Amino acid sequence: MDFLWGGVREAVRLLLHGDATTYHATWVSLLCTILAITLAALLAVPYGAWLGLYRPRGSRAQVFALRVAMSVPTVVIGLLVFGFLSRSGPLGALDLLYTKAAIVVGLVMLAFPLLASLAHGAAASLDRRVVETALTLGAGRWRALLKSLGEARVQLAAAYLAAFGRCFTELGIAITVGGNLKMRTRTLPSSIQLELGRGDFAAALAPGFLLLLLAAVAAMLTHRVSREALR
Amino acid sequence: MRAFLLCVLLAACGAEDAPKVLRLATTTSTRDSGLLEFLLPPFEKKENVEVQVVAVGTGQALELGKRGDADLVLVHARSLEDEFVAKGHGSDRRDVMYNDYVVLGPAADPAGAKGKGAVEAFRLIAATRAPFVSRGDKSGTHIRETQLWEKAGGVPKGEDFHLDAGQGMGACLVMAGEKDAYILADRGTWLAFKSKVDLVVLVEGDKLLFNEYGAILPTHEKADRAVGAKLLDYLTSAEGQRRIGEFRVEGERLFHPVGEGQ
Repeated sequence: MDFLWGGVREAVRLLLHGDATTYHATWVSLLCTILAITLAALLAVPYGAWLGLYRPRGSRAQVFALRVAMSVPTVVIGLLVFGFLSRSGPLGALDLLYTKAAIVVGLVMLAFPLLASLAHGAAASLDRRVVETALTLGAGRWRALLKSLGEARVQLAAAYLAAFGRCFTELGIAITVGGNLKMRTRTLPSSIQLELGRGDFAAALAPGFLLLLLAAVAAMLTHRVSREALR
Repeated sequence: MRAFLLCVLLAACGAEDAPKVLRLATTTSTRDSGLLEFLLPPFEKKENVEVQVVAVGTGQALELGKRGDADLVLVHARSLEDEFVAKGHGSDRRDVMYNDYVVLGPAADPAGAKGKGAVEAFRLIAATRAPFVSRGDKSGTHIRETQLWEKAGGVPKGEDFHLDAGQGMGACLVMAGEKDAYILADRGTWLAFKSKVDLVVLVEGDKLLFNEYGAILPTHEKADRAVGAKLLDYLTSAEGQRRIGEFRVEGERLFHPVGEGQ
């Protein structure tokens, strides 16, 4: 018990004294996650909603593919991105491996199927009359789509937060393509992994607390937003 | 059929006493090189002991010993080992074997480190600001790296050419290959990665690159010192030492018995 309690006290002390490495890792985690889910949402939400609203030919196969893609483990995504960005890979000339940009690429791939799938669900469950009215009033298909996205905004916000939770706590991509470089690409989850490997329990707890705190805030917001959706 | 299988199973279990479990905390280099698989089976058979190997960094291995989660630790960072014994966390430290480190880098060698001494090579790397991948994980290798930097005028912490990776040897070698960077590696892991990574050996054979492995018996009350001592005796016995010297990876010798060639 002493061991645990001592660790907790030391972790709190580290946080209060503004441990630069931990705070930098928090910044990297937040930056990469928000950038990635925003980029992913710009593509995935219209795409998923289009599938849900207009059910074009082949949409069932695409929805199925999105579901499958959602279950790809993050280390496998990391591996794929590594293969492309490695010097001997097709995009090696960009010299992106072990940068924040590489992490963002991986996280976009993680968030895209999740966001598209949730957007599809939200759009498919909308009252059809909204779209039909818009279409009869002479709106184009994209205008009608935008209109229905507005209707589904609460579900979409919940989807965005869910993607945040998934990307923010992710470890496999951050390590494989980020490289866990100190003050560069080290994220909160990869700091925890490293400090534990170094045998420093307290130093692992400090980023652990921050991760838990921020993930809990995201989860609380998600809960709030989805309760809103039920109203 | 099911009853028959059950009988067979029971007979198999009852045939001999269940082996005692011994937990050995050691570094990834001894496990990943295959040394332990070569060294331990005769001991396990003779003493009826099952050795569970927990392979982690030296820092964590010692931590496991300190908390009573290991019955023997086998690590390679003399300064940390001595501190561990001095603080009363362990006793009866013995030399078990040694291997060596090599300084690797790109074949083009922009720092001109080839053939130099280890410290001089590090000084040249810093002077030319050539990229260097640091383990940064408090492993035995990281500690040696730090000692060499200190002899060469200080660890270039926070400099843009000093990449603090905080990962295992293999991951760091891949990174150094990708980034045309210099790196300090243990010879065993290097041999395993040689064909996959675009780096060459630039410095080897320097006394400062020798790497001693020591075994320590933890004193924590939860550690089983009797069974730990048996393994310690085996490792330092004539038979254990002979087997360490016989171990080969792709025809190359990785670990040397104590006292040989020093």
